[in-house]
Amino acid sequence: MFRRILLVSALLCALGMLTFAPLQADDGHSHTLSVAWPYQVPPTGHFNTFASGGIALGQYMDLHEPPLAVLMWATGQYQGMVAEEFGWDDDGNYVIKVVDGYSWSDGSPISADDVMATFNIFRLRGDAVWANMTGIEKVDDHTVKFHMSAPSSLAERIILTTNLRPASVFGDIADRAAMMSPDDDGWNGLLQELTEFRPESPVSGGPYTILPDTITEASLMLELNPGGFAGDIQNYDMVQMWNGETEVVTPLVANAELHYITHGIPPTTEEDFANRGIDIVRSGMNNGPGLYVNHDVYPLNLVEVRQAIAHAVDRVQNGFVSLGESGVAVEYMTGMSDGLSEAWLSDDTLDMLNTYDYNPDGAAALLESVGFSRNDDGHWVDDNGDTLSFELTFPQEYADWSAAAENATAQLNDFGFDITARGVQFQQHPQDIYSSNFEMAIRNWGLGDPIPGRSYLQAYNRYNGQGEAAGEGGGAGMNFDNNISFSGGDINVFDVSNASSQGTDSMAQAELVTHLAVSYNELLPAIPLWERYTNNALNRNFINVPDSSDSVYANFGGGADNWMTTLILTGVTAPADM
Amino acid sequence: MLQDQSHIDSTSQPMETSAAGLVDRLTTSLPKIYRSYTVRVFLQAIITIWAVMSLTFVLVRLMPGNPVDVLIEQILTAEGISYQEAYDRVAASFNIDKDATELDQYFQWMGDLLRLDLGTSITSPGTKVIDEIARFLPWTVFAVGTGLLISFVLGIIAGMPMAYYRGSKLDHILSFFSSFSTGVPNYIWGLLIIIVPGIAWRWFDIGALRGTYDVGLTPGLNAAFILSALEHAALPVFTYVIAILGTWMLSMKSSTTGVLNEDYVNVAEARGLKERTVIRSYVGRNAALPLFTQLTISIGFVLSSGVVVEEIFVYWGIGHLLFQSITVRDYTSLQGVVLLLTAAIVFSNLFADLTYGLLDPRVRVSGEK
Repeated sequence: MFRRILLVSALLCALGMLTFAPLQADDGHSHTLSVAWPYQVPPTGHFNTFASGGIALGQYMDLHEPPLAVLMWATGQYQGMVAEEFGWDDDGNYVIKVVDGYSWSDGSPISADDVMATFNIFRLRGDAVWANMTGIEKVDDHTVKFHMSAPSSLAERIILTTNLRPASVFGDIADRAAMMSPDDDGWNGLLQELTEFRPESPVSGGPYTILPDTITEASLMLELNPGGFAGDIQNYDMVQMWNGETEVVTPLVANAELHYITHGIPPTTEEDFANRGIDIVRSGMNNGPGLYVNHDVYPLNLVEVRQAIAHAVDRVQNGFVSLGESGVAVEYMTGMSDGLSEAWLSDDTLDMLNTYDYNPDGAAALLESVGFSRNDDGHWVDDNGDTLSFELTFPQEYADWSAAAENATAQLNDFGFDITARGVQFQQHPQDIYSSNFEMAIRNWGLGDPIPGRSYLQAYNRYNGQGEAAGEGGGAGMNFDNNISFSGGDINVFDVSNASSQGTDSMAQAELVTHLAVSYNELLPAIPLWERYTNNALNRNFINVPDSSDSVYANFGGGADNWMTTLILTGVTAPADM
Repeated sequence: MLQDQSHIDSTSQPMETSAAGLVDRLTTSLPKIYRSYTVRVFLQAIITIWAVMSLTFVLVRLMPGNPVDVLIEQILTAEGISYQEAYDRVAASFNIDKDATELDQYFQWMGDLLRLDLGTSITSPGTKVIDEIARFLPWTVFAVGTGLLISFVLGIIAGMPMAYYRGSKLDHILSFFSSFSTGVPNYIWGLLIIIVPGIAWRWFDIGALRGTYDVGLTPGLNAAFILSALEHAALPVFTYVIAILGTWMLSMKSSTTGVLNEDYVNVAEARGLKERTVIRSYVGRNAALPLFTQLTISIGFVLSSGVVVEEIFVYWGIGHLLFQSITVRDYTSLQGVVLLLTAAIVFSNLFADLTYGLLDPRVRVSGEK
């Protein structure tokens, strides 16, 4: 018995010592950038970034597969990256010239062939960029012409923000795709070949390249790729990419093992980080939760009722209880973010907008104007004598949207509505909206995109009339009639939304955007509550980037144009001790 | 011709006799085979697995969302394109067969299973599910299995004195610890280990212990890899041990208390045998016997017991694969993992059932059972 106790104790002690000994002492490498993004390890994860399951590191993929250009949101101007020259030619085609002198990590030069390969694969996949393109032509080793059906600032954006892939890896499939049409017998087979294609190793054209042997479920390392784009101006030798979602990376940030994350963090965590001296960087994301109503449900189809709801909810309070300082109340109520409103609308237009300030008395006046009144219980009843009683659904797994729903419900009930909030599983919730199976719901307004017309497609397209496409038996979403009348005339808001991102005449686009903004402001088809701002945790004790007043932070922290990757690609981001 | 015919007849006669004999033998032996307890429970196990898998096939498709919807929602939120455009792109990315009905998928999957083919992942087209399982399974078996064995041994060792000295301070202290450790779920223990010694006391670097072994090592029978694997497994194993130790302690205490009242123990003591001999040979062995069944059944649950712990420590095993498959609605991967978990539980029960009689001479499983 004693011998057994001794053996087991020894084993436990050994495990304990292994655990609690000073582990993985710092190797003294002071030039490793420590960031995070979730990914899957092989064999599920792989190096085919065109196929599902590929190890695509979000915005950090810019460091491995560099973009052609980055939009500087503060100025509205594109800054060339791999594309050193770009623009429309006289024939309405888009021409780009790839920068000379850089190479992929397998030694092949970055050239027009890579652009051709990338966009021919997009054609094979059926990507949206080909909706405006009729063909692609290699003009010379560094120049590519995109033949367009019509000039479009949307197409320009999609082209320029594309991450370039190597022709040395994907060229074979791309060349075969270029020779075929979707009606050919071999098209689907080639598509299957693409999705099942597994490059043996990652090939980088950016400043850093993934080291396959370092990929674990904990993290992966990217090594400096000196010959790649911007590889000659880097201040780090390595980038360590920690793996995981918010709950996984939070302890690492607290322990100062991870120095920058773009993960959305709850306000309490934010406060803890701030107490540890970690900076919180906030940039507007051009979207957030809004109150959607089913326009087939009386009296939610009355504009006065929706306007009253807007006045009855204190959006400042709603935003703060939902996401702290990163829940910023929407001011202009135009269906796009306040930042886009200020960028695209004239001062006169901004002045005439109704900002729907918190005003319960004003809300009451609006309801009374359409014959509604309060009953003895203090509840509002409509002109038919029915209580304004509705169910408000929300995706229960989204903490901030859940908080927004609960708070909006409480405020509206205080005002005299009878709202019942109900959480729905987050994957089921959008299906309910597509199929019109709701009365009121919390869904997103706006889009993380600088082109304003696209923000409106959430309300006028995604949540309006997509039921049939979504396999929901022809449900019409929120049942809003896109043919509207407003103070500026009669328009189809869906058509105008699309038209506003076509062409290259920014004045003409602004006019259409103004129609969209003013009509939205008047009709409030859905009621924006607050705009989500990033709350990126940045430990400036380890990373040296410009202070928060710099205009680069207008490039919000997710997807294309990310400010951090822009600063890395331009050689600005550096260790704090440099 | 006649000769030929007679030749044929003469040669076919023994064949017919032989075939008829075979049928006779089968008709007489099949019921005997079926009456065999071992064969019967094995067949029942196979049927159970088939039933669970069929039910799983239906249930996963009844869950809200599907692999296509998950990715479509991500694209719609990020890009604002139409639903149809998003669908077409996702369909191309997954290379899914839009026309295959659920029934087609079921028979296709069952047919593949009969050929021991678990299919390919939906969300990572071209990746075999069996390869995914092979990548993650060993780490779960290692960590949870080690935790189970350590806690079992410790539980037996600690449970006996609890019974011997029941009512004493030692019993009270150990009983409190047992109840407490059993009552707190393993993921809470995991979080506590990360937060208190990891973040508050900074006894170790959290990130350095993540994963299953250090970067740059080659898996194999070399000291560096083994030490690294042990180091990375230490926190999950410790969590499993602390979370299930109390169960074994209380079970052993209960079992020992029962054995202590047996006549043969009193006789052994009356014969003047040394206390150590009585404890080891008379009490310990007999008290531990019922726990053996519990242990073999627990082995079946090994694979499914670490889902959240594996996520907390980023020590990815089969639990992570299950979690990930559910999250992205990867039906084929999910079905593969559930098949594995089901088979492990069913066969461990079967194993316990069949072997208990071998260990305990008092219990013999007969064909008449």
